[in-house]
Amino acid sequence: MPAATTATSARTASRESTASSALAQLTAHAADRMAAAGEWRAEGRPVIGYVGADVPVELLTAAGALPVRLAGSPGAGTATGDRYLGHGVDPAARSVLTRLLDGDYGDLDGLVVSRDCEASARLFYAVRELRRVEPAVRLPPAHLVDVLHLPHRSTTRYVRAKVAQMRATLETWTGRTIADADLAAAVEAHDRLRQLLGEVAELRRERPARLTGTAVLAIVAATTTLPVRRSIELLERLHAHPDTLPEADGARVFLTGSGHDTTDVYAALEDAGLLVVGEDHDWGDLLFHRRVREPTELGLAERYQYNGPSAPRASIRRRAAHTADAARACRADALLSYVRDHDDGPLWDFPAQRAAADLPAVLVDRQPYGSLTAEALASAAGLTNQLGGIR
Amino acid sequence: MSDRLSSAEAALAYQRQWFADLHGAVADGAPFALVNADTPHEILRTMGIPYVVNQWWASIVTAKGRTQDYLGLLRERGYPDHSEQYSSIALGSLFDPDPGSAPWGGLPRPSLVLAETTGDASRKVFDVWDEEPGTTFYPLESAARDDVPPRWWELMPRRWEEAVGSDRLDLMVEELVGLIRFLEATTGREFLETRFREVMALANEQQEWNRRTRDLIARARPCPLSVTDSIPGVMVPQWHRGTTWARDAARAFHDEVAARVAEGTGVCPDERYRLMWVGRGLWFDLDFYRRFQRTHGAVFVWSMYLAIAADGYLRYGGDPLRALAARFAAFSDQLYTPPWSAEWYVKEARHHGVDGVVHLVSDDARGGYFTTRALRAAGIPVLELRADNVDARSADKDALTRTVGDWLDNEVAPRT
Repeated sequence: MPAATTATSARTASRESTASSALAQLTAHAADRMAAAGEWRAEGRPVIGYVGADVPVELLTAAGALPVRLAGSPGAGTATGDRYLGHGVDPAARSVLTRLLDGDYGDLDGLVVSRDCEASARLFYAVRELRRVEPAVRLPPAHLVDVLHLPHRSTTRYVRAKVAQMRATLETWTGRTIADADLAAAVEAHDRLRQLLGEVAELRRERPARLTGTAVLAIVAATTTLPVRRSIELLERLHAHPDTLPEADGARVFLTGSGHDTTDVYAALEDAGLLVVGEDHDWGDLLFHRRVREPTELGLAERYQYNGPSAPRASIRRRAAHTADAARACRADALLSYVRDHDDGPLWDFPAQRAAADLPAVLVDRQPYGSLTAEALASAAGLTNQLGGIR
Repeated sequence: MSDRLSSAEAALAYQRQWFADLHGAVADGAPFALVNADTPHEILRTMGIPYVVNQWWASIVTAKGRTQDYLGLLRERGYPDHSEQYSSIALGSLFDPDPGSAPWGGLPRPSLVLAETTGDASRKVFDVWDEEPGTTFYPLESAARDDVPPRWWELMPRRWEEAVGSDRLDLMVEELVGLIRFLEATTGREFLETRFREVMALANEQQEWNRRTRDLIARARPCPLSVTDSIPGVMVPQWHRGTTWARDAARAFHDEVAARVAEGTGVCPDERYRLMWVGRGLWFDLDFYRRFQRTHGAVFVWSMYLAIAADGYLRYGGDPLRALAARFAAFSDQLYTPPWSAEWYVKEARHHGVDGVVHLVSDDARGGYFTTRALRAAGIPVLELRADNVDARSADKDALTRTVGDWLDNEVAPRT
């Protein structure tokens, strides 16, 4: 073999290895969400868990803590969480509380909960009350960051006060003052991460797609457990050579409805012949599409107030417009709303979303946490038949 | 002789006439609002804009057996019939193909709907209203606190700034200013500060009467009235608060209860157990509350409606608009968020000397563990009854009755 060809092959192999290994590492961190936290803690640094995409993670990074977004575990049982939250709460929150009480997240130095949905609020209230009335139960100190979303200046002022309050709480927890320079560096890093996530998410929308929806969901999830600079490094490696990744195929569907904190549902849908080219929940595209305008408490308040529109907090009209625009931007051929049992917001959104998107659309509701019923899966897979040869 | 309170009957008669008059006023072009219970009614009152409370209308519709019809109309339009039923029944009634058949002549079409953005779905019900021609939804923020003051009921009348929190009140005042400006611009009605102060003062007077009535009932043995009398006796005037009629109705209700207490009149000749009902009214089976008087000598002496009127509404001092913000900013917390709610229910259970608590736990996010836990920790037997308060599909009446009967026999009776 000529030397030049050998060198080219070696370069190609190296590029493939670079992108593939970055993807493998990200996927592994999505599966083992506390692995990075263990390493971080071993170096004597604080680990703070958080619930919901409305938590300004920049403050956690600026405080020198590792922010770890808490996810549930479908199929692992939620008996403990059920006891405290009742069966009427979104099972994802019941699962998170169960895992907290079972010690699955290790020794967290704190827990920050946003009011991104009613289940998160109820989770916070349960933790607060358990710490008060059952102090023998081991739970970290908890803080509620009450980010609100009506599009008013008065709301911004309130959210800014909540950002400042969270900053003060973190300073107490970590014993370290958050300097403005720390905050600016953290904002810059998290915005860079958001930019990269946006670029990586585009890879599933290309023809041919270079990532599945399942892979993108795992990548996003991994970046909510890793130190932000480590996430940036891995995403840069992944994005440098996307053409070396295997092609993905399937009927192009935009996913709305409930959020997904694990890849189970995506994997089931894509095994059934769909390709999730975009979504409007905050474990996916909705997490990273908006940047921070300036590295201040006000900048953070505006970013988190106006990020969205999420199903639990946005109006039907705003949600429908966003879904239609996003589905169009993703060049989706169909709309699928997957709604988990006890996640009520998306049920009210669907009629307007369907009308606005003007695509073949299916709603599968009252689904078990982290899976689909056989009937729902058949209904979702039926979109591939409706789409015929469109791929 | 009927043991029904004449003040409760008078309140219901007044509401019927008011509602009939409302039809005429709306037909003549008056603005009309449909509002959630935990919104600043006093602003509408001040401006002379008539309003109906969404949950009151749901209770009427349910008591008249029309709930399933209206939920079905929502289902036909692609909306869920198993989510936020209490909030969505009025919306369903909007789609009634025969509105003349609706209870009380039907709900007039509102020009304004007003609600807080609570929960994940309740604001969406109002978003659907907003799609209707001629109807505007004005959403109000719903804020929450990271920390909670203990014994809020002692703070609320005068130290409400401390109880609710300044950030929350700053936000809510801004919300109210926006609402007033919106109403001034869209209805042409005046918001007079002098009138607003009168409304606030009348509302406080009314709740002071409710407080006295609550305390009378707490001390009285036997219980002088049934819950099904106390609810209209308190709540019809509550929906008219800020008027002299409502203040006087609350006083008449108090005076009648006081007379019964003085006479030693009881609603259950063989009163043996005093019960507390925690949760919304079981509107699809109102006879439920008296069923156990006959079989067990068990009387429901408490429901949240009178008690929250007594403890949740009084606001004195400060800027009246800020005081109004403090009246509704933490309303949901008081009833449904631990420890606000749990500690209050224990305080009320002890105040009323109850022998047991029936706790309605619906299949929604509010849950009930911490309330039940707190009451049990105080040594009070608690039965968690699982049902939706307006959707009878969620429970079988006979099964509910058997469950309560068994609990009275097996848990309450042996302890008293």
